[in-house]
Amino acid sequence: MAHEAVLVERAPAHPRRRGSHYLMPALFLTPATILILLFFLLPVITTIGLSLTDISTLTFRQPKWVGVANYRELLGDPFLGKIMANTARYVFLTLLFNVGMGLLLALLTTSVRERYGGQVRALWLLPRILPPVVYVFIWQGLTLEAPFGLVSDVLGVSRNWISASPWTVIILANGMVGASFGMLIFTSAIRAIPPDLFYAAAVDGATTLQTVRRVVLPLLRWPIMFVTAYQTLSLLTSFEYILLLTNGGPGFYTTTVWALHAYQLALQNYFGNVQFGLGAAMAAVLVVIGIVVSFLYLRIFNFRALVAEPKVEVN
Amino acid sequence: MPLLPPRWRLTLIVLAALCVPIASGVVWLFLTGTFDRVHGLIPVRSPSLDNWRFLWQSVGGRPPVHVAIVNSLVFAVLVASLEVVIASMAAYAISRMSFPGRRLYLGFVLVLHAFPAVSLIIAIFYILRLLGLFDTLTGVILVKAALELPLGIWLMKGFFDTLSWEMEMAALVDGMSRWRLFWKVAMPLVRPGLLALGTFALLSAWGEFILPYTLIVSSQRTLMSSYLQTFLTEGYSDFGMVAAVGVVYALPVVAIFLVGQRYLLNIYGGGVKG
Amino acid sequence: MKGIALRLEGLTKHFGRVVALQALDLDVRAGEMVAFLGPSGCGKTTTLLMIAGIYQPTAGAIYFADRRVDHLHPRDRDVGMVFQSYALYPHLTIFENIAFPLRLKGLRGNELASKVRQSAELLGIAHLLERRPGQVSGGQQQRAALARALVKEPQVLLLDEPLSNLDAQIRLQARGEIRRLQLDLGVTSVLVTHDQAEALAMADRVAVFSLGELQQFASPDELYTRPANTFVAGFVGHPPMNLIRGTFADGAFTSNGLKIPVPFRLPPAGGGTLGMRPEDLVVGGPIRGRVVVVEPLGRQVLVTVDAAGSTLTMLTNVRPSVGETVAVGVNSARLHLFDAGGRRVEAAA
Repeated sequence: MAHEAVLVERAPAHPRRRGSHYLMPALFLTPATILILLFFLLPVITTIGLSLTDISTLTFRQPKWVGVANYRELLGDPFLGKIMANTARYVFLTLLFNVGMGLLLALLTTSVRERYGGQVRALWLLPRILPPVVYVFIWQGLTLEAPFGLVSDVLGVSRNWISASPWTVIILANGMVGASFGMLIFTSAIRAIPPDLFYAAAVDGATTLQTVRRVVLPLLRWPIMFVTAYQTLSLLTSFEYILLLTNGGPGFYTTTVWALHAYQLALQNYFGNVQFGLGAAMAAVLVVIGIVVSFLYLRIFNFRALVAEPKVEVN
Repeated sequence: MPLLPPRWRLTLIVLAALCVPIASGVVWLFLTGTFDRVHGLIPVRSPSLDNWRFLWQSVGGRPPVHVAIVNSLVFAVLVASLEVVIASMAAYAISRMSFPGRRLYLGFVLVLHAFPAVSLIIAIFYILRLLGLFDTLTGVILVKAALELPLGIWLMKGFFDTLSWEMEMAALVDGMSRWRLFWKVAMPLVRPGLLALGTFALLSAWGEFILPYTLIVSSQRTLMSSYLQTFLTEGYSDFGMVAAVGVVYALPVVAIFLVGQRYLLNIYGGGVKG
Repeated sequence: MKGIALRLEGLTKHFGRVVALQALDLDVRAGEMVAFLGPSGCGKTTTLLMIAGIYQPTAGAIYFADRRVDHLHPRDRDVGMVFQSYALYPHLTIFENIAFPLRLKGLRGNELASKVRQSAELLGIAHLLERRPGQVSGGQQQRAALARALVKEPQVLLLDEPLSNLDAQIRLQARGEIRRLQLDLGVTSVLVTHDQAEALAMADRVAVFSLGELQQFASPDELYTRPANTFVAGFVGHPPMNLIRGTFADGAFTSNGLKIPVPFRLPPAGGGTLGMRPEDLVVGGPIRGRVVVVEPLGRQVLVTVDAAGSTLTMLTNVRPSVGETVAVGVNSARLHLFDAGGRRVEAAA
């Protein structure tokens, strides 16, 4: 940090500085700033703005200001409770799988020879890097009725498992994608534990299980909290795989979560008239939650996040 | 862990079991695409070229597949290129330059990184319509590149932070402008980061579904993700052909995976070191 | 605590192609403190880690009393170890750190607490039990690590460079305390260090290692007065012994222009090395030299002299000036003779 002061600007921030002095930083930052303004900042404002209008297919060119009418309509929606329950179930159970499986994979892959451990981790990365559409198609194929579906064959019960247990499939499918996030962060954290601590625990008389319980897990507390918090927000707003797997079905609202319903209202022409404003209202709720929580993250996990794994994508 | 547990081979067996679902899935895809009818993982018909007919005919009123493939390629490459350039420029400024609000900008980027961008899709739909960029590849490319920026800036900043200050001082003393310094000196030095970000963005864009699904409607601009998705919604029985489409679509990803496992592990976590 | 005898037989360790330790045979007596001394990469730490069970030997055996242990996991060996980094569990209090081995054995409640307190009092840190490792000083961390190692009354105590990370002032004090503790408890101990003064001060016997091979295993006195080869001669003792290569012939040692009478049976005719400790060189004698460096050390002065092409350092009370010519002599009873291979040749009149 001290270098900077020496390097370019020797004078402290000073109103009399020449405007051309900031030309260079501006040049470098402008493209990114434009894109961020256009596709982050503006949409945030727009989401909230649109939610306060009655914009729909009919009124797309001339939306009318309606204040909080959309929100009132939401509250009055009989299915809102179901959607919220679905969202809670989805987030909670998938989170459990994400963190649990991520932890399990991290612990197990670091307990075997590194070349095998690395290969297993790489394989568990595959659900994340495969195109979602292909990934979902594979799930569809595996969950078919017998004799085609592998799951039916293995379980001995023939069903189309997506229709029969949509939640199980949704949670497992999302979970297998999400587990890699925690797996990589926890692996990194385990590797960061000084080897001497493992040696000391062994000399002190600990079995591997005892070492994990008493030394490794306590030291993973912050990464676990970070992953849990990060993925909670991420799950709250994700709906891509659900859309592809069930699109909220089978039936009405069986697996519809909040984010999916917002999308459907605004962008899927279900009942003839797309209710853009209403969808925007639901999205606005998520956006506000997103902003508040993101700020919270920054404060709480400031240095942990900086040191840990910011390079892995959302969800 | 530094001390291998005595019975680590047992653990390895458990891990192998955990790998079965994913491995089965990929195997199933390739088998179904090749053999057309597969019971579980056992093919029951001989290999059929019929599955691959989508490569030379238009199927069911869809555009020819090469349109989708080309569009996806263009999309992925342009997104990755834009991403790498724009994120690097911004990251360089944040890392190596002094300007008022630098701290704020960085903090802002961090917040954006945690923020779930997908929740903005409804507003982005509206904004693109306003800008006249709806249903254009340009529009989707810009949106995708923008949404990946926080991650890209963060990643590249980490790389630029490792560069020595002496180099900049020397260049400035020599009279080189910051701009030239960036392109001629700094960027070559962070090549591993550029490759990492580029690969990441490429894979992400290649698989991108929800953005093109929402923001593109005409068939001549359709991407592979939407193309394949149209098969999913039909009550289709021609699994073989759809699987073949899936194989074509997933092939680049699987190929990269097989060739560069270590590399991928590095990029996606555990830190990209050198 | 009763110490047990420790025996190493043909202990060997290879890391791929690298030979870290070659066929070591060593016997440690019950209750003895043995130091493994040598420069980095000499194999001393590797040997220690094999005794602990953290490394597996490539060949050879390790016996605790008469029990063969080299196939046992560290947790089954009943060893106490203090690591160079102390390896205290950062998330536990000092109390819990010390209690850790006892908890693993199933001890609880008052029995556990009293043992922990006892160990802590022995090390003088009973007042720090509620703190975390990060909240106490380096010296206190080291004591906590020691307390943890000793609380389970181990058969063998292993110390890996326990004093290296301490401030110089504390080091001397800690040295004496550890030694006193070890003697009081009578626990068989192995100490690894690269500091020869530390090894000489603390151990009953010292094993000197170089490049994976044992050079000499003897008491500090023996190492100092009768080093087995030029390596030990040059490594033990500070300021280091003067070692001059030359030839032994006609009752004298010759190197370039330097000639020193050696009134003993000489090594086989031909090349060899003559060793002279700086404190055994005196002002006044047959050797002529020019003073090159004068370093006052407080009590004495370290003078470096160029004598006919060979450099000699001497420890003396006289303070000559640089450039001055001085006469240097050596007590012939204190000459160390080494043959062409660097091995000690016993001097017999």
